[in-house]
Amino acid sequence: MMRISDLPEDSPYTIDECKIRGHADEVVIVENEEDIIETVRTSGRITISGMRTGMCGGSVPYGGTVLSLERLDRVLGVGEDERGFFVRVQPCVTVRQLNDFIRRRGYLSVPFVTEGAAERMSSDPDGFFYPVDPTELNGSLGGNIASNASGSRTFKYGPTRNWVRRVRVVLSDGSVLDVTRGELRAEGRIIRIPFADGIREIPLPTYDYNMAVKNTTGLFVEDGMDAVDLFVGSEGMFGVIVEADLYLASAHPLISNIVFLPNDGDAYSLSKDFRSSGVVPEFLEFFDSGSLDLIRSSRRDDPRFTEMPDIPDTAGSALFFDLPMDDDLCSSYARLEPLIRRYGGSLADSWCGHELKDRQRFFSFRHSVPQTIFEYVARLKGSSAPRINKMGTDMSVPLDRLDEMMAFYDSKIKEYGLEYVIFGHIGNGHPHVEIILKDMDDYAKAKACYVELARRAIELGGSPSAEHGIGKLKVDYVTMMYGEDGVEEIRAVKRAMDPENIFNDGNVVTMGRGVTE
Amino acid sequence: MRFVVFVKQVPDTTLIEVDENGNLRRAGVPSILDPCSEHAMETALGLRSEGDVVTAVTMGPPQAESALRRCLEIGADEAFLLSDRAFAGADVRATARALSAFVERFAGDATLLLFGRQASDGDTGQVPAEVAEMLGREQFCYSTKVERAGDAFRCTQDYGDEIRVCSVPSGSVVSVSEGDVNRRLPSIERFMAVRNMTVTVLGRIDLGLGNFSVGMNGSRTRIVESRNVRSVRSGTVIDGSDPVGAAAHLREVL
Repeated sequence: MMRISDLPEDSPYTIDECKIRGHADEVVIVENEEDIIETVRTSGRITISGMRTGMCGGSVPYGGTVLSLERLDRVLGVGEDERGFFVRVQPCVTVRQLNDFIRRRGYLSVPFVTEGAAERMSSDPDGFFYPVDPTELNGSLGGNIASNASGSRTFKYGPTRNWVRRVRVVLSDGSVLDVTRGELRAEGRIIRIPFADGIREIPLPTYDYNMAVKNTTGLFVEDGMDAVDLFVGSEGMFGVIVEADLYLASAHPLISNIVFLPNDGDAYSLSKDFRSSGVVPEFLEFFDSGSLDLIRSSRRDDPRFTEMPDIPDTAGSALFFDLPMDDDLCSSYARLEPLIRRYGGSLADSWCGHELKDRQRFFSFRHSVPQTIFEYVARLKGSSAPRINKMGTDMSVPLDRLDEMMAFYDSKIKEYGLEYVIFGHIGNGHPHVEIILKDMDDYAKAKACYVELARRAIELGGSPSAEHGIGKLKVDYVTMMYGEDGVEEIRAVKRAMDPENIFNDGNVVTMGRGVTE
Repeated sequence: MRFVVFVKQVPDTTLIEVDENGNLRRAGVPSILDPCSEHAMETALGLRSEGDVVTAVTMGPPQAESALRRCLEIGADEAFLLSDRAFAGADVRATARALSAFVERFAGDATLLLFGRQASDGDTGQVPAEVAEMLGREQFCYSTKVERAGDAFRCTQDYGDEIRVCSVPSGSVVSVSEGDVNRRLPSIERFMAVRNMTVTVLGRIDLGLGNFSVGMNGSRTRIVESRNVRSVRSGTVIDGSDPVGAAAHLREVL
């Protein structure tokens, strides 16, 4: 265990990808579970820190101790149960590391959790994959679990929650809870969690958690919920995840596709018809004309940008989707072809690629839109507007309300005199809107606009935070979604699980001690 | 005109890692069309005019067909797989012998014979030269640009310390060093069309070669041992605060 005090102002431990800077008294870099238990028992206030790739300040400390899990980065084993194969990981194994481990078929190089699993996994001709594909592959799996991360493939496979088999958690009294899905469930809205001093009855919130859309706002809850789900998406409020088992899915070859269309409305309409075509893609992603122009402009500066061919001049929007490369592929394309033609596109005006290298390039093309904006805002931050931050939405609505939300984005953002681009998870009713900021005036307007957009998303039955979580930046949206009563119910869970408010103060809800920027 | 492009399927070397014992970790590393070959294919596709034909050729096991399908997807018109158990273990010479036999029997009309500069796994860069020698053709290596010049071609060769611009007669062997980093991608329409195209497989007998011309039998070299070599260079820092002393010390060392 290593302790670092006297942190410099620009310490990497006091900032995450939202670029809000916090402060801490010390950093404790732990080596094992015993170190974590000791730190929990001896420190007053702890901010849990993994790879700090979060977008909402969840790992940004405001005082106290940063408990860094960075050295807990090993794959511990593989196993099998009635649902399928799983991998046991320490919390700071990254998504990229896990993907590499699976690609290299390293199953025999780690201990087995259940006998024979490694041999069966190694000899499986199709192999496996971890279906959760957040944009940030350098994010830790502990962080992914704590924020119930998702990505493009959530369209077909659901978020992280669907793939967590087991968690091992150091609780606020230093005791360790090791729970596998199915072992410990709530009775109605009461869950009994064993602590060192006995079993505590935890009253769960009574609100309806919105599962009709992608949603990470507030604390997940349902009648008879599994104890594992109490920790998934809890943003570290209740303990430190020290181990987790994650299920893998059987791999199948895929082909990535981008279809170009004349304008925004065409791609949007095609996305709707696509969903009713009977063809099931792995995901369905949207690029509006502004997004394509951003990529074109970056490629003018650097032709190597995205390592893709030039976007056709006639393209005013695009849809990106993966399809299984199986016997049905040709019939899937045949079913899509008339739809694509209906909206002014064609199978000739498209790209596809199935080699791993090509598919990675498609993803880099997709991620280049937020990346370009991120770099643009970073330049503003480094010059004329040091307090500016990227303003990208993370709101989801039910698919049958998406028309209204898209119209509202357009009218409301224009009403504020701002420019924007829309891209991303259209198939989940969850496109990202990036407001293009020029200065601090725009930033102030965008913050006010964002609140109105979030309110509208909730009115339409959606969520103001679909996948980025709440962290410290979006706590107001929890109140907006569940009201003061709902927030108080989350606080009640927190008080029961962590009476001294040791863990991640200020995440999801404020506990009264106050968070100061 | 007919542009014949010789390509190779290789493991994706960017994904190969070395384990703690210095051994290559090949498990899970996909086989791909060699990026060096792709430069040659890109050159051929850039030279093609209406009515021209781009032919992709590789020698390898049956699964090398996927590299040829990649060539077809990005625009090649036809593809030939030289595949025969007897070809296994071929060195540079035996490989060049099979490729030359292909040209003699199936591509005597080729306007240009294009190669990548070298294969990214074998790294010898000798196959184009040996094919040129066996066929008695002119050879232009290290080409960074190939363009049409009337009925013939002109290529720019980069030797590192010297750039040459040469006229290239028809039938020459050209190996290509550079290409566009932005790989071509097929359209869905092209991808669907390629699924219905046939890759022609040719064996030793189709090429008219004897058993002792191909594979291990036709090879003149053997790999006896292969090992990782790590070169370690240690530098010496000479304190420059005393320039005269430092110069004297340097002189002594040299």
